[in-house]
Amino acid sequence: MSDLLKTFFNDVGKSKLLTREEEVSLSKLIESGDSRARTRMINSNIRLAISIAKKYQNKGCPLEDLIQESNIGLMKAVDRFDWRRGFKFSTYACWWIKQSVRRHIAAQANSIRLPAYARGMLWRLKQTTEEYENEFGTKPSVEELADLLGVTTEALKSITACASTPISLHAPVGSADGPGRMVLDTIPDNNSVSVETTLDKQKIIESIRGAFYNLSIREEKIIRLRFGISENEGGDEKKYSITANEIIQLNKRARKGAQ
Amino acid sequence: MAMPKGHKSEQGYATVSGDIDGMDYRSIAEEMSASGHQMNHATARNVFLRAMQKLATPICEMYGCDDPDTIEKTARDPRFQSGMFDLVSGILSETSDSEIDI
Repeated sequence: MSDLLKTFFNDVGKSKLLTREEEVSLSKLIESGDSRARTRMINSNIRLAISIAKKYQNKGCPLEDLIQESNIGLMKAVDRFDWRRGFKFSTYACWWIKQSVRRHIAAQANSIRLPAYARGMLWRLKQTTEEYENEFGTKPSVEELADLLGVTTEALKSITACASTPISLHAPVGSADGPGRMVLDTIPDNNSVSVETTLDKQKIIESIRGAFYNLSIREEKIIRLRFGISENEGGDEKKYSITANEIIQLNKRARKGAQ
Repeated sequence: MAMPKGHKSEQGYATVSGDIDGMDYRSIAEEMSASGHQMNHATARNVFLRAMQKLATPICEMYGCDDPDTIEKTARDPRFQSGMFDLVSGILSETSDSEIDI
């Protein structure tokens, strides 16, 4: 526990708890606009806020944040408490504090922050799905769910998609003792050329290269003209006044001679 | 010989418009005649298709086909000719750039 929290807890412990009569009289003063009475009411009930915040400690949020949120809930409760109804303040404040803390945890739980309406819709969606399954023994379709919840299928699909938990591309896959692969490594690259295709292409190029030697000069020249491949692209043909095919054939003969 | 009635090319006809900046058979015939190889457009076409068949033969054989009709059909196919354009231009530029060492 941090020193700051320890100091805070010590300070909080000093303030006395209120009796029911004190609560009523302070509430009356708060109604008339007395800010000191409001402060006293809040300080006297901070222990309640802390005890509720501590119950949500293991939900992925720091205790300091939870206490902060529970205090915000407590302040709301102080502002809205109606002493005429005859309940104890703690009974009323408890709900506001819990609501505030729960809302904070729900907002922090996912990487994608969902608005309260969407979270409520998700909760209703879960409830409705469970009820449907219990009644009919089968899962409801999206259309049926949308109809039951009174929303469009597009809205329902959108909310469901937003609620899905994102995972990190750098998260490890498999056991920690494994080869140390990440999620990133398991995603196929659909744009990459497969080894088979590359080999096939190479093989085709080689056979065409072989077939090219069998072309006559006239055939090669017509292919060049038809495909718009200029004879002047390579410098050697121009330099020696012969076609590429003639050069290839000369080269081939020279290599044979050398062997 | 007249074209058989009702003949329709399945894959359309090979053209030199679009990506390929080539010549039509008449222009090829003129160019070839001017450079000493006397020919008309039909000969230019026949010579070109014969050359295409020569190039198509090893590829068809690679895939286990040596039927002359199939080879001829492949050589006429505009898709094959378009693929040949890419490969042949690659081979010719390679030949010009690196392979020739006179």
